[in-house]
Amino acid sequence: MDKILSGFNKTRAVVVGVVAFAFIAAGTVVLTMAETKKEEKPAAAASAGRPAKPSQADVDAGKQIYFKKCVWCHGPEGAGDGPGADRLWPRPRNFNQGTFKIRHTGSGELPMENDLFLTVTHGLPGSAMPPWNGILTDQQRHQVVSFVMTNLVKERNFQDMENEEFHVIDYGKQVASSEDSIKKGKDVFMNKGKCVECHGAEGRGDGNKTQKDEWGFPIFPADLHKCWNFRGNREDPYNPKNVFREVSTGLNGTPMPSFADVLTPDQRWDVANFVISLCPKRKIDPLTAHPAAQFVVKSHFVTGEIPKSPDDPMWQNFENQYIGLAGQIIHKPRNFVRLVDEVWVKSAFNGKEIAWAFEWDDRIKSVATPEAMAQEASFEETPPAGQPIASREYPMFNDGVAIQFPAKWQNLTPPEKPRFVFGDVKNAVDLWKWESDGTVKAYIGHGAMGGDLKLEPTANQDVKAVFSEYKDGRWRVILTRVMTTGDKDNDVQFEMGKYIPTVFFAWDGNNGDHGLKSSISTWYYTILEPPIPTKAYIYPFVAVILAFGLEGWIIRKANAAKPQRK
Amino acid sequence: MWIEGYKPIELLLILTITTFIYIGVNYLLQKIGKRIPTFPQAILIWLGTYFIFKYVLTPPIPSALMYTYMGLVTLVVFLFISSTEKGWTEFKRPILNTVMAVTPIYKGVRTVSFVVLPLLIGYGTYDFNVPKFDEPIELRTVHPAPPASVTVRGTNFTLQTARNPYRVDEKGDYLPVGKEDKYFKQNPFSPDAKGYLLYVREGGSIFFQNCHFCHGDNLNGRGMFAFAFNPIPANFSDPGTIAQLQETFVFWRISKGGPGLPREGFPWASAMPPWEEHLTTDEIWKVNMFEYWHTEFFPRTWD
Repeated sequence: MDKILSGFNKTRAVVVGVVAFAFIAAGTVVLTMAETKKEEKPAAAASAGRPAKPSQADVDAGKQIYFKKCVWCHGPEGAGDGPGADRLWPRPRNFNQGTFKIRHTGSGELPMENDLFLTVTHGLPGSAMPPWNGILTDQQRHQVVSFVMTNLVKERNFQDMENEEFHVIDYGKQVASSEDSIKKGKDVFMNKGKCVECHGAEGRGDGNKTQKDEWGFPIFPADLHKCWNFRGNREDPYNPKNVFREVSTGLNGTPMPSFADVLTPDQRWDVANFVISLCPKRKIDPLTAHPAAQFVVKSHFVTGEIPKSPDDPMWQNFENQYIGLAGQIIHKPRNFVRLVDEVWVKSAFNGKEIAWAFEWDDRIKSVATPEAMAQEASFEETPPAGQPIASREYPMFNDGVAIQFPAKWQNLTPPEKPRFVFGDVKNAVDLWKWESDGTVKAYIGHGAMGGDLKLEPTANQDVKAVFSEYKDGRWRVILTRVMTTGDKDNDVQFEMGKYIPTVFFAWDGNNGDHGLKSSISTWYYTILEPPIPTKAYIYPFVAVILAFGLEGWIIRKANAAKPQRK
Repeated sequence: MWIEGYKPIELLLILTITTFIYIGVNYLLQKIGKRIPTFPQAILIWLGTYFIFKYVLTPPIPSALMYTYMGLVTLVVFLFISSTEKGWTEFKRPILNTVMAVTPIYKGVRTVSFVVLPLLIGYGTYDFNVPKFDEPIELRTVHPAPPASVTVRGTNFTLQTARNPYRVDEKGDYLPVGKEDKYFKQNPFSPDAKGYLLYVREGGSIFFQNCHFCHGDNLNGRGMFAFAFNPIPANFSDPGTIAQLQETFVFWRISKGGPGLPREGFPWASAMPPWEEHLTTDEIWKVNMFEYWHTEFFPRTWD
């Protein structure tokens, strides 16, 4: 009995203990949560955003992660000079000075811990920094940030209470995007904010092309038509909040200043709404954070002449198709930093002729100089040790765009294609290239294996540039050709309703692009969409009549059966 | 652990979980006497499977396969409801009631469905007859059979017997596969890195000067140029790529690139260059080893 009683008491003690513990734990959690909530609010105190001193255990764990994942670009001392750095532009961040672009803190201030954490989480789109979300756990990302803050930021100290202030920006009340807000934002962009001076009249980043960053490397103002390349877009390109933040804080280390003292929060929201309105609305592929690629390009059937201006309502009716471009880095000379990273295309045909309208952003119009042409042969690709690609100056070549098809796609068994880089020895390609000095040529390509580019002009030169214009940081070009030519061996022949493999190229002359050094897409398919056949309208009509007839028959049968049931 | 990109497991998991939830809910409803009748149940199963195939599973199922799948689902549902006389009668009842318009409500249902159905048929016929041009489905062999031997920059390597000359410990002795995991968490930039770890550093440097643009900073095939390609570059952190392959297979793939693939591997669909154009065989072996160190996989062995 005694034993049972004592056992009972024990159980009760345990229960009481557990309940008490649960209460204490819950209390602590509630209190901490209340405290964190307080911290999240942008307080007046200039220290509100200061990161807490990380524990040594976190720093050590972060170091191990850093030397596995980050050191390759950011370098063993965090100076942004890892083995990969010299072939990158923008260059990897040099942590030593504590200069960070994407923050919630005032201009020139150190970032909050959460700012660095979010940068690691979402990466910096348009640069080589990938999102580490899903690769490193939350804890690991906090740890690696702890290591960077304590060991790699060397010239400043997050815990320096006297000299380091953290003024966290206030988002105020978000102004929803509206026609009115966008209009006001445009006005701020053009006048009070003077954004236009760097970002250009149309916002394509072509206003000031000769700026340098804090380390002396050239830097371009952002092209506001490519919101998926905004470094601070947090994989959420159409969210004006990110633009508001950057306008408010400025980007440390770059010429982009903070507008917190110049513009009211409402004006900053307006300008953010305006900036987002410049970016074409497309479905974003969550894996790449870029517009989702459609690998079939539709050429639309039109009757009569194909208009020669892209501003013609016919061209305006068709949707621009996004083509993502990579640097040609597989045959020498390689293009590690390609400045044309996308081209937008439209196509139309009228049975006799086919036309392609290209549009792409380029901050600098370039036309080749004789010196550049003379240097062409001695072009060397690899940056020598200690000479970063980011600070390299190139002779001026032509800007250009090209489209390529297998010369005889009819003879290939699908899905076989020639090599996408200018074809191969077995299967030739027909490539039409337009250059900014006005040259338009069709070439027959037999590949570039071993860096030996085999590209010869074809005998028939039927490709014409009916339109070309450079304005406000954008090239627009329309190329046309007859659908069928006499030279069936070297010229691509177009047929309606067939999948015709297609590759796109672009060259940025002031980036030293010429020949193999180019931007390149992968194989796409072009389809010349046939007009909708008449049977597509007749058959449904017949089907509906038949269905109604059948129903009438069923109802009659059912009605006939009813009285029997009664 | 969630295996990113490992679709078959994901697919099976989703289907199994949904099936179990469905059975469970049905069982509970039956227990409380609110059994869903056969007709709505059949419709529910059909729409449910369609929803999962169409919207839950990624990558999207090609429409030709979708017809097959949904055909199978229809067949199975019919087999199930017609397996007993009772079930079949129960299934038929609401249809017959509607057709006979036994109550005013059923009459309303009949009127609506007899108008909507022909219109749907009309739309279906139109949709079927309008030419559509989706991206064609092209299925390639991801890991085609390797050749017996390969000649890289003048040296012949027999894939079954060739060894990575840089797979050595601090003393320079050959490090058998499976023994290298002690280095996985070590710092290749430490001043006293020797052997394996030193070569990992050299291989990593080559990787981050040449390969990361496509294969990504985390070797997951999502480099800064990856969005331009179709298919996207190989994901080495997926257990389905280098973890399934021998070191010499990977050596062959790096050296010969896309153009070195046999026909069934679709050489034209690969942007991979023959790296022997840019790298020495030593560099290829080192970068090869780095890929295993970084992803912490062991290469497959021939035995």
